[in-house]
Amino acid sequence: MFSLFYGLWKYVFTKDEFRVLILGVDKAGKTTLLEKLKSIYLKGEGLPPDRVVPTVGLNIGRIEDVNAKLVFWDLGGQVGLRTIWEKYYEEAHAIMFVIDAATASSFEDAKSALEKVIRHEHLRGAPLLIVANKQDLPGVINDEELTKFLNFKELDDRPYMFQAVSAYDGRGIKSGIEWLVEQMEKSKRTETLRARAGVAGSI
Amino acid sequence: MGIVFTRLFSSLFGNREARILVLGLDNAGKTTILYRLQMGEVVSTIPTIGFNVETVQYNNIKFQVWDLGGQTSIRPYWRCYFPNTQAIIYVVDSSDTDRLVTAKEEFHAILEEDELKGAVVLVYANKQDLPGALDDAAITESLELHKIKSRQWAIFKTSAIKGEGLFEGLDWLSNTLKLLLQAQ
Repeated sequence: MFSLFYGLWKYVFTKDEFRVLILGVDKAGKTTLLEKLKSIYLKGEGLPPDRVVPTVGLNIGRIEDVNAKLVFWDLGGQVGLRTIWEKYYEEAHAIMFVIDAATASSFEDAKSALEKVIRHEHLRGAPLLIVANKQDLPGVINDEELTKFLNFKELDDRPYMFQAVSAYDGRGIKSGIEWLVEQMEKSKRTETLRARAGVAGSI
Repeated sequence: MGIVFTRLFSSLFGNREARILVLGLDNAGKTTILYRLQMGEVVSTIPTIGFNVETVQYNNIKFQVWDLGGQTSIRPYWRCYFPNTQAIIYVVDSSDTDRLVTAKEEFHAILEEDELKGAVVLVYANKQDLPGALDDAAITESLELHKIKSRQWAIFKTSAIKGEGLFEGLDWLSNTLKLLLQAQ
């Protein structure tokens, strides 16, 4: 009986936990973005940008929004390390794909990496936030220009949005996260993941 | 209460201490790494029966580094050192491809331990100076590092003999631990 009530209580009061993968090619600013996220939502914690070193592995950030708990998985973007990205796909609710919008020479690499991400069947239906990062730098292009440049046609089967962000000063981050949470809450993929976790839990 | 003051004290004066275990199969290079970190020199080592422990000061963190012997017969005793550990440095001989499966199994057995649930993981893909050594991506694959999903991890290519990669790894570790110790 207790467990019944406990279950009900949990059902009503426990926030959903969403897992968001932060992907992108090396030097896009993924870890800086994660640290900025932490400092915005956790009040003060978070590594300053000059202390961030290239990631060769997994960084994790946990934050809590009004409605949801978010777990961010930030994976290294160097070519040799991208093979592990897909091992994290199945359990992710959504993707943040970070692009250095101030470095035009990185666009081609970013585009082909993103295409691979989108085509992967384990990510079917996952909401996608494309982050036009480094808006604080001169010569940067904004989210609309980046949209034109990437010129994607096959994004249609998932919710997606381009967002201008500066991981350095923090602009654009909150609205991006709010959009992601909203999308994850109503996404079919979330239901699928929840059902799968439920089945696994009862075994 | 005393604990509170100690915490306050250490957070004011910035000198934190972290307990780090250096683990890995025998002949992976654990002891060489420990003394390279501590003295900056290559010392000639013999197989460790038991443990070596040294304190390494780096980036305002005092690392108490425990190097535990790696032979099969003494691996069960690793467990005695697990409580209160903030990080594991797992050392792999990247050129010993025959034993990578064993290295993987030992590694994942360690990660299952309750008392190490909160520890972050740094992998040294060691012996990069040897011919046929696998790179970081290949070691990531063979150790199945991607199965780690609830803690932070990083891998660095190292050569303890040449002194390469060790401090890059320690940089990562000190950044990561600082944030963790802050959060506590």
